[in-house]
Amino acid sequence: MDCSGSGISSPHRPKWRKVAYGGMQPGFADNHTDESFLEQMVMNASVVKRDMLKVMLDSVSISEYLCIVALVVLVWTYTLTSTLDENSLLLLDVSLLVSGFLILLFTQEMLSLTLLLRYFLNISFFITGLYVLAPIYHTLTRSISSDSIWAVTSSLLLLHLFLHDYSESTVKAPGAMKNPSLTSCISVNASVVASVFIASRLPSRLHVFALVLFSLQVFLFAPLVTYCIKKYSFLLHLCFSISLMIMTLGFVYMLHHLLFVLLLSLLVFVNVVCPYWLIRIQEYKFEIHGPWDEAKLCFDITDSD
Amino acid sequence: MGDQRRHRVLMVSDFFYPNFGGVENHIYYLAQCLLKLGHKVVVLTHAYGNRSGVRYVTGGLKVYYVPWRPFFMQNTFPTIYGTLPIVRTILIRERITIVHGHQAFSTLCHEALMHARTMGYKVVFTDHSLYGFADAGSIHMNKVLQFTLADVSQAICVSHTSKENTVLRSGLPPEKVFVIPNAVDTAMFKPADERPSREEIVIVVISRLVYRKGADLLVEVIPEVCRLNPNVRFIIGGDGPKRVRLEEMREKHSLQDRVEMLGAVPHAQVRSVLIRGHIFLNSSLTEAFCIAILEAASCGLLTVSTRVGGVPEVLPDDMIVLAEPDPSDMVEAIQKAITMLPKIDLQVMHNRMTELYNWHDVAKRTEIVYDCALKCSSQSLLQRLSRYLSCGAWAGKLFCLVMIVGFLLWQLLELWQPADDIEGVPDVALSENYVEDELQKTQ
Repeated sequence: MDCSGSGISSPHRPKWRKVAYGGMQPGFADNHTDESFLEQMVMNASVVKRDMLKVMLDSVSISEYLCIVALVVLVWTYTLTSTLDENSLLLLDVSLLVSGFLILLFTQEMLSLTLLLRYFLNISFFITGLYVLAPIYHTLTRSISSDSIWAVTSSLLLLHLFLHDYSESTVKAPGAMKNPSLTSCISVNASVVASVFIASRLPSRLHVFALVLFSLQVFLFAPLVTYCIKKYSFLLHLCFSISLMIMTLGFVYMLHHLLFVLLLSLLVFVNVVCPYWLIRIQEYKFEIHGPWDEAKLCFDITDSD
Repeated sequence: MGDQRRHRVLMVSDFFYPNFGGVENHIYYLAQCLLKLGHKVVVLTHAYGNRSGVRYVTGGLKVYYVPWRPFFMQNTFPTIYGTLPIVRTILIRERITIVHGHQAFSTLCHEALMHARTMGYKVVFTDHSLYGFADAGSIHMNKVLQFTLADVSQAICVSHTSKENTVLRSGLPPEKVFVIPNAVDTAMFKPADERPSREEIVIVVISRLVYRKGADLLVEVIPEVCRLNPNVRFIIGGDGPKRVRLEEMREKHSLQDRVEMLGAVPHAQVRSVLIRGHIFLNSSLTEAFCIAILEAASCGLLTVSTRVGGVPEVLPDDMIVLAEPDPSDMVEAIQKAITMLPKIDLQVMHNRMTELYNWHDVAKRTEIVYDCALKCSSQSLLQRLSRYLSCGAWAGKLFCLVMIVGFLLWQLLELWQPADDIEGVPDVALSENYVEDELQKTQ
């Protein structure tokens, strides 16, 4: 008996076949390992070679959104310290709304009167609802200390940033087919709750209304606007992002120097270090495929399960 | 047969009768044939319903149904050390020499093999399934397998593809892995006495109706085949979550009179369904071996199957038509099979199967593996630990810890209940003829 798997060598032995039938193959032990062993294994068949520049340019979307959130936090801080009064906040709301709307119209290229009317109707409903609810928001968290509010808000914002869908927009343009994923919905909800919490620290109802409107506008529609810009022209997206970054860095520098350094290093980390890191660890990517893989169906399974 | 050549084998798996499937079948037939070769075989599995304790089944095969309840897909809850006392007692009582575990996702098998290694027994493992390398489930499963197989004496796979897969997953040296396929009880799967008429061609499908068995492929293939051949009927045996989709397809294409759905078919009735057909269709997306094809071929059916896993190794090319798992290719293969039908002689097919597959042959080949396992040198705990350590940066250390704790627990048990105090079980000597008769009866 032979446990080493080499088999008995004879000049006329039949060729080994990769078959399971017919009992033990004459001249070969069951643990015979043929030269064709693992012949059909394919390594790294579906690995995409990534380009450093491409990854860096793609990561701009992330830092763009980071800057947007930083700007929102800046506005919150200025409002809480009463640097921004309610009138200028309302002015900011209106200008953001109009500019966002214009960008959408230009990039989507679907100017129709009915759609415009529908948008207008929806937005007015939304604003009225918010105005009616503002007194409730104003007194919502009165019994909670400001420290807790800040702590909860910052953790919610971190959650929002962590789960945010950076590749697409959660709020879709009309007619979009795909439903948003669960994580991006959680992300949007976290941001809404955070804005309501912060707004409840403000002195007047008008303040609350203006700030919640501002935050919701940004959190719900900024991803859509940036997504539309990116789809329209990548160059425009790049210019927009970079100017946004410079603006944010400038404002943060005026607020606090340490925060400026933190934000700057975060942006460098996201745009330079992470892409480099990704390219480096790409070397360790190791995929194997072979006849043992479960076959993939080449058609869509149309039902829901 | 000399007593020194007589193995005393403990087969361990979560899967055994009354549950039914490829693994259960394999263990049962292998055990019966090993008993016939004069070895002692004991089966260890978990309790099924109120079937708990020690039972004797056909041929004096002793089965321990240990009172652990299954919690997920017939698996016992993984406790790592929970089964050590009972496994140890059984090993000592039955004076076992070799522990043979079956199936990679049986927790009881993994635990028993681990304890057996701790106690210095030689262990053999049979892998019955294929796994990928990409999804999270497979990655964890493969790590557990690597742990169990790091110290296994010999391993058995059911096909060459399965061997490649197991070697890659566990990092075992390929010469330690034997390929011993399943077999089929050809006496049980005989063709029909009178051949079914050729006016109408019946295609039989018997499988669980789940994604992995390619039920979605059937949904695409059946209407097209029915459209191309007005004389083709389908019989679908099996149940599962995808049954609704098949029924929807039947309604949508108004094929109620041409697609018969039987629901779950008990194994005892599989033959009676098979002999009604001419062609057996297997649409699995992954398969290590596929016993269903053997059963169909043994009944004289021509098989059409997807070319996945170990299926291409199972039958000679003139007994099977292979197709890519793609609807149009499968329809083409079925068309080809229909043209091949007039040349198929059921009895010739059946006789060929009797030559190709035989459980006694499987048992003899397994016996060789046991001999090899017994020849492996015994290793001290330290030598074995170094092997576990090489399993991975973190996993290796974790595995070592698990083994050390297991070793300590075993020593504790030795103090508490010394092995000498455990009474051995007298072997029930059934006459050779008795086993023969019983085996004949089951066939």
